Amino acid sequence: MAALVGLRACFSAFQLSSPGLLHSSFKLCAVPLSRRTFAAEAKKTYSREKPHVNIGTIGHVDHGKTTLTAAITKVLADAGGANYKKYEDIDNAPEEKARGITINASHVEYTTSNRHYAHTDCPGHADYVKNMITGTAQMDGCIVVVAATDGQMPQTREHLLLARQIGVEHVVVFINKADAVEDKEMLDLVEIEIRELLTEFGYDGENTPVVIGSALCALENKQPELGVNAVLKLLEIVDSYVPLPKRELEKPFLLPIEGVYSIPGRGTVVTGTMERGIIKKGDDCEFVGHNRSFKSVVTGIEMFHKSLDRAEAGDNLGALVRGLKREDVRRGMVMCKPGSIMPHQKVKAQIYVLSKEEGGRHKPFVTNFMPVMFSLTWDMACRVTLPADKEMVMPGEDTSLTLTLRQPMVLEKGQRFTLRDGNRTIGTGLVTEILPVTDDDHCNWG
Amino acid sequence: MKMFKCAFRAASANAFKVNHGSLQQSVHTGGQLFAADKALLMKLRKSTGYTFINCKKALEMFDNDPAQAESWLHEQAQKEGWSKANKLEGRKAKEGLIGVFVGDAAAVMVEVNCETDFVARNDKFQQLVKDVTFATLDHHLQSRNQSKSGYVKNLLAGDELSRLRMGEGAALADSVALTIGRLGENMSVKRAVMVGVPAEWRIGSYVHGNVGSQQEVAMGRYGALVIFQGGKEGEQDMLGRKLGQHIVGEAPLSLGNMDDLPCGESETRLLPQTFLADPSRTVAEFLRGQQAKVLDFVRFQCGETSGKDQN
Repeated sequence: MAALVGLRACFSAFQLSSPGLLHSSFKLCAVPLSRRTFAAEAKKTYSREKPHVNIGTIGHVDHGKTTLTAAITKVLADAGGANYKKYEDIDNAPEEKARGITINASHVEYTTSNRHYAHTDCPGHADYVKNMITGTAQMDGCIVVVAATDGQMPQTREHLLLARQIGVEHVVVFINKADAVEDKEMLDLVEIEIRELLTEFGYDGENTPVVIGSALCALENKQPELGVNAVLKLLEIVDSYVPLPKRELEKPFLLPIEGVYSIPGRGTVVTGTMERGIIKKGDDCEFVGHNRSFKSVVTGIEMFHKSLDRAEAGDNLGALVRGLKREDVRRGMVMCKPGSIMPHQKVKAQIYVLSKEEGGRHKPFVTNFMPVMFSLTWDMACRVTLPADKEMVMPGEDTSLTLTLRQPMVLEKGQRFTLRDGNRTIGTGLVTEILPVTDDDHCNWG
Repeated sequence: MKMFKCAFRAASANAFKVNHGSLQQSVHTGGQLFAADKALLMKLRKSTGYTFINCKKALEMFDNDPAQAESWLHEQAQKEGWSKANKLEGRKAKEGLIGVFVGDAAAVMVEVNCETDFVARNDKFQQLVKDVTFATLDHHLQSRNQSKSGYVKNLLAGDELSRLRMGEGAALADSVALTIGRLGENMSVKRAVMVGVPAEWRIGSYVHGNVGSQQEVAMGRYGALVIFQGGKEGEQDMLGRKLGQHIVGEAPLSLGNMDDLPCGESETRLLPQTFLADPSRTVAEFLRGQQAKVLDFVRFQCGETSGKDQN
């Protein structure tokens, strides 16, 4: 048992210290991930001195997204903030294919003077959506790359639609290939056009930063005005324009309960890994889930048999709770800051359904399909309702759908979950909206 | 001191803009002609959607005459499309759409590929899929007039399709090249199937993941045509759709016999498979209840390796 707790602690510690890239995929396939973790540790330790931000590039295939990424690493490598990756080196990492869900993405990391970045680039719409759903790298901001020679392409609309869809709020535009345009007036026109388009898609087109440059010049050390300087300018703008995501520590605490133990002479202890927030001795707490809800006070916190005053997200702890009886709580409930989280029975979610190659089913599913939903430490039968315009969902597709749980469980917007059927994982998803329960939902559960 | 700092910050923030602005100024001094030019250029680009560089070239060539410029652009686009198509030829195109059209006693299903699913969502690409569908249909109807036989099923591969002509006489390959020029991605017409049936037979169809904005042609990532007989009066459309849905979902490889016994989860024959819309019955049992008979089916999955499903 102790070994198990230790292992979990190790995972959760990694979860916190990793650049967030692999965050939730570990549930789907822990083995390749752990291998990866240890390999990474053997190489170099990641030092957490700068805040971490996830950023992505979108744009047309030929407009130089990869060249720009290469240029950024080159420019920063000169300043010591990155390893220079040549265009050819930025490719789909082979280990991506060994992971649970195949996302055709390239991940590159670099550091500016203020921040540490993980940079994601995917070839297709479906890959970005998978990326969002599995939480591989939630993009905090996005660089739209447009070639000055072409201007926006007809499909740039689809790119911006995507950014909206996956919840990217902050977009920066890089007009690439400016060296190939003799007439500087043209650059203005390209800029005007992209600003109009941004406004059309609900972004602040007027004030969105636009940087004009040439990634190729930066790579080849030509025309520093368009090359190196423009890339530095872009990074400076990304540094200031894309805000830091809210950190887990700043949120109200949440401890999904993994086990309940009664210790003679002391009381009842609940154990689990802190999902988020900070908890201190003497804090008020609330237990929610499995149709129960009551409040109490945390009277003691222990981690690895040592008592501590304060525990934070990622810690694997046991909490002694005043007046708690062993039968009051069970695995699957959560201990949280009073009032910060509620149980819900019906949610709208965006899910990715694993293809057969990824270990999913080979068959599609239709409305009224009843898988088991796993999230935090609970699992519960649920019923699928597809949107009106969809009759079935094939393996390998992503879709939005409504899930009705047999009993209300702790659920909130943005929470991730896995759907399983028998012994097979069907897919993974993200709660997008909490829905009120109607009378129709109380029908029989067979 | 503080003020100075502020000013400095503002200046540095605008440094790039300012710099750029001065460049612009130097161009402006070149003459007033360009101002009119700029508005025209913007207009031309908006109305045609061709690249900035080409629009500008066209305007310069015809002394800012938008009409002439536009016609030149169209001509040029065809040429450039071809050169671009050649340049992009080697690139993998595995995304795309299946287009399905069902008419009276005839149906067409085509697959057109592109590189990214962004393009598959684009109107211009969908227009191309529609053109390909109708060109194939025309071809089918022409050849059918010559030989008035019963059941016809005709599979066409990519190069045969490229030689087909659209209504006004433009070759399909030209139309593909034009779209490549516009969207800048490699594309190909991969395959098509045409089906013609005698009067009392029916064709059912289902397209999965319908994204098409085109009215007449259904488009998605999966498509199925199913040829059947019988069925209750007035419910045949629904029956065809349900069967099509089953075929898309369960991907049967062969038809099988009405009396075949099902062999578990991995059954690849259509008739003994468990029916998707009603798991308590097999397809054969469902068909008996409906007094219908499936004669043939075709299933296309976008991006699949060809030949796999051509039973």
